[in-house]
Amino acid sequence: MTRDLDTATPAPQAPAPARRTGWRRLTMIAAVAGPGLVAANAGNDAAGIATYASAGSQYTYGTLFFMVLVTIALVMVQEMAVRLGAHTGKGLGALIREQFSLRLTALAVSCLLLANTGLVVSEFAGIGAAFELLGVPKWAVIPPAAVLLWALVLFGSYHWAERIFLIMSLAFFAYPLAMILGHPHWGAVGHNLVIPHVEANKDFILLAVALIGTTVSPYMQFYAAAGVVDRGAKPADYPLIRADAILGAVFACVISLTIIIATASAIGGTGPLNSAAQAAEALKPVAGQGAELLFALGLLGASALAGAVVPLSASYAIGEAAGVERSVSRSFRDAPLFLGLFTAQIVLGATVAMTPVDVIQLLIGTQVLQGLISPVVLVYLLVLTNRRSVLGPAANGPRYRIAATAVVVGVAAMSTILLVQTVLGWFDLA
Amino acid sequence: MSTSARLRDRRVSLERRATASKAVRTSLVSLAGLIGGQVTNQSGDEVGRVVDVVARLYGTDSYPPVTGLILRIGRRRTFVPADAVGKVHAGHVRLRTARVDLRDFVRRPGEVLLAKDVLDHQLVDVDGVQVTRAADLYLAPLVDQIVLVGVDVSLPTLLRRLGPRRWQARPTPERVLDWQSVAPFAEQATEGPPEVRLRASRAALHRLRPADLADILEDLGRAERQQLLGWLEPERAADALEEMEPAELQNLLREAQPEHAARLVDEMEPDEATDALRDLTREEREALLTRMPKDEAAELRRLLTHREGTAGGAMTTLLITARQDESVAEVRGRLAEQAEHRTEIDAVAVVDGTDRLLSDIPLFDLAVAEDTTPIADLVAWRVQFGPPDTVHADTSLADAADQLVAARASSLLVVDDSDRPLGRILADDLLDALLPERGRLHFRRFLQ
Repeated sequence: MTRDLDTATPAPQAPAPARRTGWRRLTMIAAVAGPGLVAANAGNDAAGIATYASAGSQYTYGTLFFMVLVTIALVMVQEMAVRLGAHTGKGLGALIREQFSLRLTALAVSCLLLANTGLVVSEFAGIGAAFELLGVPKWAVIPPAAVLLWALVLFGSYHWAERIFLIMSLAFFAYPLAMILGHPHWGAVGHNLVIPHVEANKDFILLAVALIGTTVSPYMQFYAAAGVVDRGAKPADYPLIRADAILGAVFACVISLTIIIATASAIGGTGPLNSAAQAAEALKPVAGQGAELLFALGLLGASALAGAVVPLSASYAIGEAAGVERSVSRSFRDAPLFLGLFTAQIVLGATVAMTPVDVIQLLIGTQVLQGLISPVVLVYLLVLTNRRSVLGPAANGPRYRIAATAVVVGVAAMSTILLVQTVLGWFDLA
Repeated sequence: MSTSARLRDRRVSLERRATASKAVRTSLVSLAGLIGGQVTNQSGDEVGRVVDVVARLYGTDSYPPVTGLILRIGRRRTFVPADAVGKVHAGHVRLRTARVDLRDFVRRPGEVLLAKDVLDHQLVDVDGVQVTRAADLYLAPLVDQIVLVGVDVSLPTLLRRLGPRRWQARPTPERVLDWQSVAPFAEQATEGPPEVRLRASRAALHRLRPADLADILEDLGRAERQQLLGWLEPERAADALEEMEPAELQNLLREAQPEHAARLVDEMEPDEATDALRDLTREEREALLTRMPKDEAAELRRLLTHREGTAGGAMTTLLITARQDESVAEVRGRLAEQAEHRTEIDAVAVVDGTDRLLSDIPLFDLAVAEDTTPIADLVAWRVQFGPPDTVHADTSLADAADQLVAARASSLLVVDDSDRPLGRILADDLLDALLPERGRLHFRRFLQ
């Protein structure tokens, strides 16, 4: 960001609108390269990193094939979400309210709220974990971080803070490098990518559901659709938008794969991940002694970034469905539901994140919750994209319908198996 | 007034309110409670269930009359005209006849299905100046027909509808909007004849201030937004567009029919129109410009050559010029013709025979001058304040603002190199350009 220096007056500095144009031009060229990419990559937040790292440490390369399946699911799901956004010009919340009965709307909205509150917990836990790596106890960090994020979004100019967080989260781009420098067993990697490998034990299923949850998390579909609507994309722009969504999803999953592989080659086979410091070891080939610092930086940036976006997107979707004011520049009296939900999620998230449980277990737990709720939201998405009354000629064709249904059934099956196993486990029948 | 008297008064008024709301409550029928309700014939036997209520939304009536019901009888959906309906209670309909003549429903012009097209959809609450969703609709029996009287938009009503069936039929008219003060959208409705399209509520839309309309346009979905634009007079719509967030305005112009968008941009003030066009891509811009009248398009093209962030890029080309030999009355007459642009005019530029600038006379001076005074006298009088304050088209806005502050004026003239006036830059345009954006936070902020 350069400042215009040709006006050497101590005048009230104009925010150089010409520069804004340049910035807008950039986003215009990429009028669509954005929502899909950002939405998919928001998945690589604290909880995501923890889940992928745990997959690498516990099963080495064993989960790679499953991740390929998840990638396909993510591509299809994101595509459906942006298609709805581009063709209807409405967010998912509004569409669900208009197309389903009120009770079903309430179900969808509660699911989203539950899943998102879980996510907010994981973001604050991530912030706490990042500071613990630097030697600051989490109880001293989480409350001020929560207040700061809340205030930034409501009163500050969040998008400056956002850029700082974004730059910090770029630290995770060290993973692809770490993967190559860590000399993984390439033969085994290739083998595991193409040969199906699924274990029927509870630990693997639990991790698989967490992987689904962190990759195909419910809020992401709402977020992607809202992003497309907000950019005023029209049906004519749809090919570009689709390309962006697919590329974004693939890119996000490639990053996830590199995290799994890098962690596997560093600490693979040491059993479940038990601390953030252990996860940071995967970055040693790149940063050496600074691995923990680098990891903490990335964790902090990614968590803070998502810590504002996630509760906002849920409040936005629910406000849309209820048909109330939704804007952070309104007062609490004008937009009680929107701002109340936003505040409640942050308060609840920060409070739960303070509980003295093992942070990695907490992170993975929130992703399991996402994975359990995900199929519910996917069913709504599938029904909406199947309806000709909503999408007209852009509705799912017969072949696509079969494929998309298979994806949803697959995701639902994993969640159901996990639920059944858990319930049986309570009664010691497993 | 003693405390006991006050308390008694309060009790009385509370009782009155209770009976009033009870009376209202018993006469109102909740649509949400009616859907799925029982339909009986004259002898009290159940015939079927209510699927939807058909009303003529786009007609001349002030309250839309119910024209019939759609019932499910066995496995068939069928239409019963309003004249066969005897009485509508909460959650239950009684027919006038013993036999129901089964017909398939065909939409007639102006008719909508209330549950399918209106309930749970967006509407504009004109009095509250907001976009909201219909949580429930209330019907009331009038002399010989049933009419739609109001819309409920409260959250408690939504909770009521989530509850068991017994709650659903009970109206909760706490926050009911009179049907006269909402503008509903029903995308699927076949529009009635054009002359009745402007219902009272749409006339009410014209009561809204441009800034409020802009807020509403930003909140609406794509289809609803275009529908609303279609209802407004182009001049009114253009005023609202000038108040919109640039990014939202850009989306709106993109999704509109090019002819309509061109018409709207044409109606906007030149400086605002230029800003709007600047944000579009070259093809989109050309698509609109080629559909405009030739002169306007040429002028906008000329304005577009100035860079954003310069005085030329933010000026309005609307200039009132006068010559030395005219009288104050003549100039006033010319100002009166430009009444619709009152917000863009705060001074009159005086030019000589070769169109060069002599002086810039504020409206105040014109207002207090005698009718017969020649403009030349005013010019001579203004000389004591120094030469008129001007900037060049390529002056940066920050500099222009400095000059405006120093001049203690509310606008500056923009002149070319030979001192001929090109346009005027107004204080509010400078403020717009200099203040940081205080827009609403949409997702866009996160995505840039």
